[in-house]
Amino acid sequence: MAQKLKETILNPILKGNPITVLLLGICSSLAVTVQLKGALVMALSVTAVTGLSSFVVSLLRNTIPNRVRIIVQLVVVAMMVILVDQILKAGEGTYAIDKQLSVYIGLIITNCIVMGRIEAFALGQKPIPSLLDGLANGFGYGLILVIVAFFRELLGSGTLFGLRVLPEGYIANNLAILPPFALILLGCIIWVQRSFDKDLQEK
Amino acid sequence: MNTNSNLYTVVYTTLIVVVVAAILSFVAMKLGPSQQANAKAETLRQMMTAAGVDSAENLYAAKNDAILGTYSETIDKAFAINLAGEKVKDLGTEKSKIELIDNFKPQDKAIKSNSDATLPVYVFKSGKTVIPIYGAGLWGPIWGYIAFEADGQTIAGAYFDHASETPGLGAKIKDEPWFREKFVGKKALFSEDVIFLIGKNVEAARPENGVDAITGATMTSKGLSEALSVWFKAYKNYFLNNSKTEEE
Repeated sequence: MAQKLKETILNPILKGNPITVLLLGICSSLAVTVQLKGALVMALSVTAVTGLSSFVVSLLRNTIPNRVRIIVQLVVVAMMVILVDQILKAGEGTYAIDKQLSVYIGLIITNCIVMGRIEAFALGQKPIPSLLDGLANGFGYGLILVIVAFFRELLGSGTLFGLRVLPEGYIANNLAILPPFALILLGCIIWVQRSFDKDLQEK
Repeated sequence: MNTNSNLYTVVYTTLIVVVVAAILSFVAMKLGPSQQANAKAETLRQMMTAAGVDSAENLYAAKNDAILGTYSETIDKAFAINLAGEKVKDLGTEKSKIELIDNFKPQDKAIKSNSDATLPVYVFKSGKTVIPIYGAGLWGPIWGYIAFEADGQTIAGAYFDHASETPGLGAKIKDEPWFREKFVGKKALFSEDVIFLIGKNVEAARPENGVDAITGATMTSKGLSEALSVWFKAYKNYFLNNSKTEEE
């Protein structure tokens, strides 16, 4: 049991990472990784949404009519996303970040990871493992987001978390600010991960 | 119980939707006031940055409550005018009842259709007058605040914001202080057809009343130029009337 739980938590972070292995949630990882701060808030939001949605759906799993299960899941996910958005807007410190992320918080609902984990895990498992699975997947997603944002902010603006780290004379790389650069970075991360992990290599 | 019967499905989905709706409306009601307070403080920060009350960093570091206090201490009078430049009503400036007109979309429509627009004017104790501008960027709305010196034509400061311009390109109108500093000292020619212009190589041709567009953000710059010219035109009568009365 403990072994299984450990796997539930660790698998989504490395071997089954939603972005680099399952290639889900790519579009938001291109959109919100220009700056670390935004990426971090997005990562936390997605983690909260996947965790809580999986938990709630798992609680309801035996009562959901099979024919409309996707719609019921969607209602639950939408509720969580709106809650996160409302809470971010209400906090004095988070208001500005919510404004910066604008539509992307609302678009968490279309993130394949959320629905993917509910369909694949939460519908057949108890609430606590589902919660952990959701949180771990959100974390695995967030980890990649933060790595990508680190390089994009460093090369694109010469800053980290808005603080200047590269000298004033550094000419910002405009490519790093644009979404294609995130795709290139993602490709590099996938490449590095696969060259270390032989199990992920296709024969 | 048969969870696949029609009756069960209908009752279940109805119930879920009602419960979710109840939770969301409850949360929206509870959080509404603090969200509005955030939005109001944000508007005040932007206005006061334009008016040069303090630097943007300090204003953004300050708490909402402190912002309300600073505003009511530094504002002289706030009122709304119509397109003819006549004052139509006063806006509250006391800390507990600060009134703002910060929903610009209907105003923008009214200006463009030349109908009844209620436009805010904020006069600070420093003599600077702050007016808003609003328009369309590349991806969504852009807006900002322009502060004029007491002469009613020299720009004292500016602040721009946007809903979803490209970070690093169009978003520079907000993120790069050098862009808004470019406006300082420029003149808005309210008596002429082209009041102010943003565009390619404009600074060379009109050093007094133009600002160069941002490289890589042509559409955002165009939108900003359009927003400035539409809103400046709307305030034209107010500023022209005002400068006349001073001369008399």
